[in-house]
Amino acid sequence: MDPDGINERDERMIHALYEAFGSRLLHHVRRATGNDHHWAEDVVQETLVRAWRHAGKLNKEPGMLWAWLLTVARRIIIDGRRRRRARPEEVEDTGLETVSVPDESEQTIAAMVVADALERLSAEHREVIEETYLKDRTINEAAEVLRIPPGTVKSRLYYAIRALRKDLKEKGVT
Amino acid sequence: MSPPPHHEVAAYALGLLDPEDHEAFESHLVECVDCQAELRELADVPALLDEIRRRRSPLEGRQG
Repeated sequence: MDPDGINERDERMIHALYEAFGSRLLHHVRRATGNDHHWAEDVVQETLVRAWRHAGKLNKEPGMLWAWLLTVARRIIIDGRRRRRARPEEVEDTGLETVSVPDESEQTIAAMVVADALERLSAEHREVIEETYLKDRTINEAAEVLRIPPGTVKSRLYYAIRALRKDLKEKGVT
Repeated sequence: MSPPPHHEVAAYALGLLDPEDHEAFESHLVECVDCQAELRELADVPALLDEIRRRRSPLEGRQG
């Protein structure tokens, strides 16, 4: 049960991180995992263990720490999605996938607003978001599909995400 | 090695950088207040994009 050499003291630190960020993180992660509670719990756990491992170089400013935790959780979720896509027969809890979400209507409205904002972007900006994040592709994978250098994917994605963020902000979403 | 370009912050926030690039950007992030501010700005974008993912059922693929 202890492959990473986590001792009791470390466990207490991870527990403290869990106390501080666990529920807020779980709330965010749950949506990204399609409300798969078991998967979401695993992601939160893994995120906080990674946070503890990086404790030395973490920025302690709360907003920054939160942004960092979200990024770590995001990567864990994306890895999970890729693994599930590669080995769909190993996906567990298939019977639970259709469990309804408590705030479904609120989420549907948000989805519509974001989808509309995406439509308002330039074709180039929309395409780069579609071909990367929305299709679970890394920058390098998307670069091959789009036939442009990875550096161009990254800069195009940056301007696309900024434009999307600006649009949503103007609509009062964020 | 030259530092990673600032615009990598978007790919970083979305978790799309390859492991080496991710590590490199993270080291840069610790030093760069501009990128830190930008990361805070962009932190909620992935969750917003996930709303679209939820709307598109995996069986249906792309939206109609």
